[in-house]
Amino acid sequence: MPPRLRCSAARGLGSAISPLRIPHQSAVLLWASLSSAARQYATAAAVKSGPLRLPDDYVHPTTPPAARPAETRKSQLLRSYTALLRTTPLMLIFQHNNLTAVEWAAIRRELRSALANVSTGTDSADVASQTNLEVVRTRIFDVALKIVEFYDPSKVAPTTITTITGAKGMTKYNHDLSKAAFDVVKDVTTGVTPLPASSPYAQLAPLMVGPLAVLSFPAVSPAHLAAALSILSPSPPAFPAPTRRKNPGYYETSAQEGLQKLMLIGGRVEGKVFDLDGIKYVGSIEGGLDSLRTQLVMMLQSAGLGLTSALEGASKSLWLTMESRKIQMEEAEKPAAAVEEGEKKEES
Amino acid sequence: MITRFITDVTTKFNPFSANAKSARLFLSFLPPGARASGMNIKTQLLPRTSTEQSALHVKFKDGKEMTLDCENLGIKSIVEEVDRHSRILQKAVDLGN
Repeated sequence: MPPRLRCSAARGLGSAISPLRIPHQSAVLLWASLSSAARQYATAAAVKSGPLRLPDDYVHPTTPPAARPAETRKSQLLRSYTALLRTTPLMLIFQHNNLTAVEWAAIRRELRSALANVSTGTDSADVASQTNLEVVRTRIFDVALKIVEFYDPSKVAPTTITTITGAKGMTKYNHDLSKAAFDVVKDVTTGVTPLPASSPYAQLAPLMVGPLAVLSFPAVSPAHLAAALSILSPSPPAFPAPTRRKNPGYYETSAQEGLQKLMLIGGRVEGKVFDLDGIKYVGSIEGGLDSLRTQLVMMLQSAGLGLTSALEGASKSLWLTMESRKIQMEEAEKPAAAVEEGEKKEES
Repeated sequence: MITRFITDVTTKFNPFSANAKSARLFLSFLPPGARASGMNIKTQLLPRTSTEQSALHVKFKDGKEMTLDCENLGIKSIVEEVDRHSRILQKAVDLGN
């Protein structure tokens, strides 16, 4: 732990901003904490305007300017949704129609136990523990989707700011609550930026209606997806609901009534939008991504084999015909040679 | 919305079309205990490529059936239509007591 200072920077700043309350002593302490070059500059300023004044375009390092008030719950929800959308590769979107808290608890309990029973590899426990069924605020989630798809933080131009010492510096304000992000989202909403129908956001936009819940997986794991589907939206041949004997908790009234009110309406897998059938297809991939990769490798290998044998074929057949012709000619020569030998023997 | 007098709700929609909005919102307006109190709610989700129109069919306790046009009616108009009949039934119940 760093040593406690008697006059913290925050307190010093607070008193600096309200000049009426400024005690002479704390102002002096604040000077002492500044670097020597800055002190000269600041002292000159202080001499000019009396009490300490911060530069007019001063921006506190921990509170960058934002288009939305950063301290509100909505802004922080927006940030959490953008973080979720950027990190989760596999996400299912549900509509929930007035589920009670008891029903949510029952569904989450069943989901957790079903995911915990999946065993695919070393990371299956991590996937199970970090899979999360979360109710989202639809409009904020919609904005978050726009930010994630259309806003590129690396393209924001840096702005010039003045530090507390008066030195000029360049900083980028490209966080998700920034003015730049706000402008991008506004352009998309008002139609200034054209929205191609093939873009993932345009496909997902009609889903962003009514009460939504999101099931997010930390990795694309078809086995875990299948387990979740068999609990949340069972469809008998591929994703059967657990049997009553095996899992009696699933057939409790609270769980069953909750599940009736939960509708799977779509999903997003690695940035692509899938409907119910598409999600079922992803869930039915046996052996996960690794098996798909092996299949691809096998396919490529066999294709290479076929190609080499086809290319080899022409030269091989040429060689074979030449070889057979050679044998044929040799055989044709042989009898003649044998006859000549016989004649020589008779002469001797 | 008055849901006491509704016995059956049948919906069919493609969630990826913008016209599914009012059908989906209607479902979200039904109270938490709707199924427990005897309402039959059936929902059919159409595949994404389907161009079939979304449909909402409501049946009341007195036998009246309503087929609501989800394509053109907003959720407010649908609720208005449903409530218009529900209020008649409510009035009959109130006068009966």
